[in-house]
Amino acid sequence: MKLSGNVWKFGDDIDTDQIYPGKYLPLTDKKEMGTHAFEGVPDIKDFSAKVRSGDIAIAGRNFGSGSSREHAPIAIRESGIQAVLAISFSRIFYRNAINIGLPIMEIDIDTYNSITQGDKIEIDTETGELRVNGKSFKAFPLSGLEHDILVHNGLINYIKEVML
Amino acid sequence: MSKTIIEKIISRASGKDAKVGERVWVKLDLVAMRDFGGPNVVLDFRKHFPQRHVYDSKKVAITFDLHIPPRNEKVAKNQQILRGFAAEEGVHLFDINTGIGQHILLEHGLIKPGSVVVGTDSHMNLLGAVGSFATGVGTTDIVSGLALGKLWFRVPPTIKIILEGRPQNGVLPKDVILYLLKFFKTDGLNYLAVEFFGEYVESLPLSGRITLASMITEMSGKIGFIATDMRIKKELSFTEDISPDPDATYMKEYRFDISKIEPLIALPHSPDNVVAVSEVEGTQIDEVFMGSCTNGREDDFRMARNIIKDREVKVRTIAVPATHSVMINLLKEGIITDFAYAGIVIPNPSCALCTTGHPGILAPGEKLLSTSNRNYVGKIGKGGLIHLVSPLTAAASAVEGKITDPRRFL
Ligand code: SF4
Repeated sequence: MKLSGNVWKFGDDIDTDQIYPGKYLPLTDKKEMGTHAFEGVPDIKDFSAKVRSGDIAIAGRNFGSGSSREHAPIAIRESGIQAVLAISFSRIFYRNAINIGLPIMEIDIDTYNSITQGDKIEIDTETGELRVNGKSFKAFPLSGLEHDILVHNGLINYIKEVML
Repeated sequence: MSKTIIEKIISRASGKDAKVGERVWVKLDLVAMRDFGGPNVVLDFRKHFPQRHVYDSKKVAITFDLHIPPRNEKVAKNQQILRGFAAEEGVHLFDINTGIGQHILLEHGLIKPGSVVVGTDSHMNLLGAVGSFATGVGTTDIVSGLALGKLWFRVPPTIKIILEGRPQNGVLPKDVILYLLKFFKTDGLNYLAVEFFGEYVESLPLSGRITLASMITEMSGKIGFIATDMRIKKELSFTEDISPDPDATYMKEYRFDISKIEPLIALPHSPDNVVAVSEVEGTQIDEVFMGSCTNGREDDFRMARNIIKDREVKVRTIAVPATHSVMINLLKEGIITDFAYAGIVIPNPSCALCTTGHPGILAPGEKLLSTSNRNYVGKIGKGGLIHLVSPLTAAASAVEGKITDPRRFL
């Protein structure tokens, strides 16, 4: 998949409570869940009003730590963010993102430092190629299996279309 | 090729020679869900796979761990959904009189060394203590696992943690794992499998091994394994066993001398915010909780009883056995009686004060000493301050009404 969008930049240790505060856990409407994405991040105000469909999130270390609930990647996707790049992901978030069909990739710290809020970024989820402000970078591409699951828009569809 | 425990298990369950970093489909020996999260699994499974039954009814288990008996209509309805599903599909159901899932599954012979287990709790992986690859996953994974009997996994690298030396009097496995948390921090083991070795580990009964393995989650690790030895085989009547090949490759090796460790405490609001109990002795507290999947077994309460017997607690104290059979054993040994005379509240077995929503919630600013595994902000009530300790420190502090080094009683 080739995706492009504008960057939302986040720091280290953005946990699932910052991505999707626990008080919204009872919500079941996915669109509504999307309006609360990143509401718990202290230094970002009015994210849901400002985010544009197709934007891409860039984060530091340990993105998505905390609870195992899938609300976090679902809320991100529903908010309009179409992919997340981070230096590292917590393992449960990583799985859940792929399983619901949210593209994610790991990047190194130099790449992270070279990207700023609002930059225009192009990514190729298959090769890991990134282009930002005319410069090229490389993300760690997903494995073949993870990428296949993504392309099928998540694990349930993948199972129905490929495995059953 | 020589293999670590995780490589052995995944190779067997995937039918491939699994190498670190690879993604492989792994056959599941057990899919578990619980009263929290389970109802969504059932609804999604019926929605996405309306024509299908679970892949193998003998390999699916539902446990009621959290709000038992149900505390409100919503929870009652959730449990109703699960009972209905269990009847329709003929899967194992452990109802309100059983206890914490992982322990129940173990007690009922559903967990074997080398088996692959997924569940909806982040501490499923404490079953690594008996050599089972158990892991907590999200709803989509469980739904898929129910339909297919397989899930994809990335084979994690393994590190070796060797624990040598004898513990000082008053130092329990909880202190040892808090020491490791202080060292590795909350993201120190991300994506990694751990194998515990050393004379200290070998000296531990099941309860202590579970305490160690359970808090690998707090360091973001995938799982902490202990190879099956005679002691565990006997304690659990296992016929299977699992151990790494002698020349398996580890990403890194760490060695710790545990004889230097003293009783430790994790202060709010992170499990790696660890200091010696002696540094914060005398701090007034409001409540003590003994229990959870980390410290809810017979041995944990036996330890606490050494201090509690013939004394009275000075703060409100709640003790909750992990399972029904643990409670029966505590009754037989007179421990429940001693606790009751000491003024301790003893509800039925469950996860209890590991999560919010169970009686015992804190008011803002109140301090809780807990033998559970997490002390995040607001976990047991908004504004509450959670401190993580061993059963001995919990007991000593309960009878003093303030944070107390248990060595004073020994
Ligand atoms: S005691 Fe807490 S961590 Fe353990 S199984 Fe229950 S809810 Fe999960």
